[in-house]
Amino acid sequence: MTSVLVVDDDQDLAEMLGIVLNGVGIEVDLVSRGDEVLDVVRNNPPDLILLDVMLPGLDGVEVCRQIREHSIQVPIVMLTAKGDTHDVVLGLEAGADDYMVKPFKPSELVARIKTRLRRTTTNIKGTLTLGDISIDIVEHTISRGTKEIPLTRLEFDLLVALAKEPGRVFTREALLNEVWGYRHSTDTRLVNVHVQRLRAKVEHDPENPTIITTVRGIGYKAGASGSRGK
Amino acid sequence: MRKIVERFRRSLTLKVILSIVLLTTLVLGVVGTTLYTRISAGIKEEKVDSAISEAAYTIYFAQTRLLASSRTDSELRRTAKEIVNSQAIGSDISSREIVLMRGIRNIDPEVPIDSVSNQISLSSIPNTLREKVASSGNISWEFVNTIYASGKLVPSVAVGEEIQVSKSGTYEMYVIFSLEPQIKALELIKNYLWLSGLALLILITFVTWLTLRQILQPIREVAATAARLTTGALDLRINVQSEDEIGRLGQTFNDMARSIEEQIRRLENLSRVQQQFVSDVSHELRTPLTTIRMASDLLFNARESFDPAIGRSTELLLAQIDKFEKLLEDLLEVSRFDADVANVKPEVVDVRTLVSKCMDDLALVASDRATSLTLECVGEDLSAQVDPRRITRVVRNLLTNAIEHSEGKAVNVSVIADDHSLSIGVRDHGVGIDPANHHRVFDRFWRADTSRSRARGGTGLGLAIAQEDARLHNGQITLWSELNEGAHFTLTIPKKFGGELINSALHH
Repeated sequence: MTSVLVVDDDQDLAEMLGIVLNGVGIEVDLVSRGDEVLDVVRNNPPDLILLDVMLPGLDGVEVCRQIREHSIQVPIVMLTAKGDTHDVVLGLEAGADDYMVKPFKPSELVARIKTRLRRTTTNIKGTLTLGDISIDIVEHTISRGTKEIPLTRLEFDLLVALAKEPGRVFTREALLNEVWGYRHSTDTRLVNVHVQRLRAKVEHDPENPTIITTVRGIGYKAGASGSRGK
Repeated sequence: MRKIVERFRRSLTLKVILSIVLLTTLVLGVVGTTLYTRISAGIKEEKVDSAISEAAYTIYFAQTRLLASSRTDSELRRTAKEIVNSQAIGSDISSREIVLMRGIRNIDPEVPIDSVSNQISLSSIPNTLREKVASSGNISWEFVNTIYASGKLVPSVAVGEEIQVSKSGTYEMYVIFSLEPQIKALELIKNYLWLSGLALLILITFVTWLTLRQILQPIREVAATAARLTTGALDLRINVQSEDEIGRLGQTFNDMARSIEEQIRRLENLSRVQQQFVSDVSHELRTPLTTIRMASDLLFNARESFDPAIGRSTELLLAQIDKFEKLLEDLLEVSRFDADVANVKPEVVDVRTLVSKCMDDLALVASDRATSLTLECVGEDLSAQVDPRRITRVVRNLLTNAIEHSEGKAVNVSVIADDHSLSIGVRDHGVGIDPANHHRVFDRFWRADTSRSRARGGTGLGLAIAQEDARLHNGQITLWSELNEGAHFTLTIPKKFGGELINSALHH
């Protein structure tokens, strides 16, 4: 059974989240303090974390950073009351995969959680190669030579989405749809921040990327900037 | 020249100094001229008086001698010459010359005794004086120029009288007194007058300038401080050093500045607190609202199993939560505008595509109301540098309003662009808005028809937000509407973000 860790100091909301998620067959653990999250995650790793930004003990952004620093690649979805603020970008930069602005519809939350939990659905089996990076679709790992590079599931999905059609230029909106499952969203910060994070891990020189390149005014593509998009 | 005029117009010092100089010059001129005229007249009068009495004596003396010498002709001539030469004084300063000439009507005297001292020209004696002497028979005088043989002219006073000489007949004798000493004295006085006048003028100008400087310096400081205060340096004060009127001006100014600063700080604080409060409230409401929404969603999904009244209540509950959410979102947006923290992310977009997308999104709503949407585009290049999220919001808002008030008639959307500006027009043919209310349309929470509009949803903040969005783009939203003729809202923005809206044909 899928398990989600809900971190929120508002007991009622946490309980309500539990009821909603239980209703779609997801098991829920509750934590109300930020500084308790890491221990819980280590002892009993969940499939996903729903993380409130404002928390007693340690705020959500810090919790995020802590988890990623311990190389725990669990998907994290932040819950925030301030969708417009710097907090969102900070959270994403700290390693959150996605965020939801309160108040959200339960159906939206469930859809988002399911997108984050699904295995990459692609008909390509085996390995993909992008520059000197090889991607093992089945094992969900990527490596440079013999060295494995740890990626979060979202980063892996993002890389695969780009790599399975090398040279094709993806708009940020297309990536939001493909990787995050958004139908129509205008917050392209999600894409920008995660491309930066991904580059930091896979590029030799993140300042001059060759694996994921920016196509000015349009979006991103896999491969060096010299290769033409189809 | 214009520069000088401009400088003059702007400088009180220049103005005051110029008028003082002009006035002083006038007064000094009048006083000096009067003084000089008086002195000159007095000196000359005195000279004339002494000249007359001296001449009278000399002439009398000559007459006596010429009468007494009733001797030979040559004796008479010699005596005349002797008189002329002895009575003349050749000294430089108070020289006097003697002229002995036959009378006007004495054409052919038996013994001519004409004689002049120092060979002065006879034309030194003007005919007017000769006429006077001849006609009056008394001693007469006139100012003349003594003409020397060398051609030198000496201003003088000539005093003359007829004398009778036996054998020679009527003769005129003139004693000519040089006025050179008097003229020299007058010349000196004139120079002194000029000098003292000039000195006085300079002194007055300087004193005026000094006074003005003393008065104006603090005033200039006040003006400069006031100017900087206007630009926001509210804590600026004047350094008051004296207790005189100027000092009081500074003190009063400082009091005023302090009072203004306090007021502004108070208001700023008040409005900041208020904005913060609105923002906090909006945020704080979100967490409980999330719980409420989830709970009601659960209820809503299970409404089939409820009693119909409870089921319907659940539907109403959810609808109101939707509205509440929208209101909260709009409130937050407004508080962002009020706090001036709205961030804009401009990018070049094809406005035609943006508008079409908005129309597609609202097509369902429109068809629910049996309203058709049309789009017309005019212009070569319909792209503009805008924040697409905001412009989309404006267009959606105008479209939603138009559809809601369309009464089933068509809504026409137009995108028109020229080189600098771009306008998006949304025209409905519904109820329209009373022109008397046009100025209130963009007010927060204002509704054209309270009872009806509220039932249709909308937070009452849409147009207020739309207008703020337009302003962020340096644009504007204009409205044309008549009752029962529909309404036409037009958003006009510069194509380049941050550019000015050039007065083009696009906005009416």
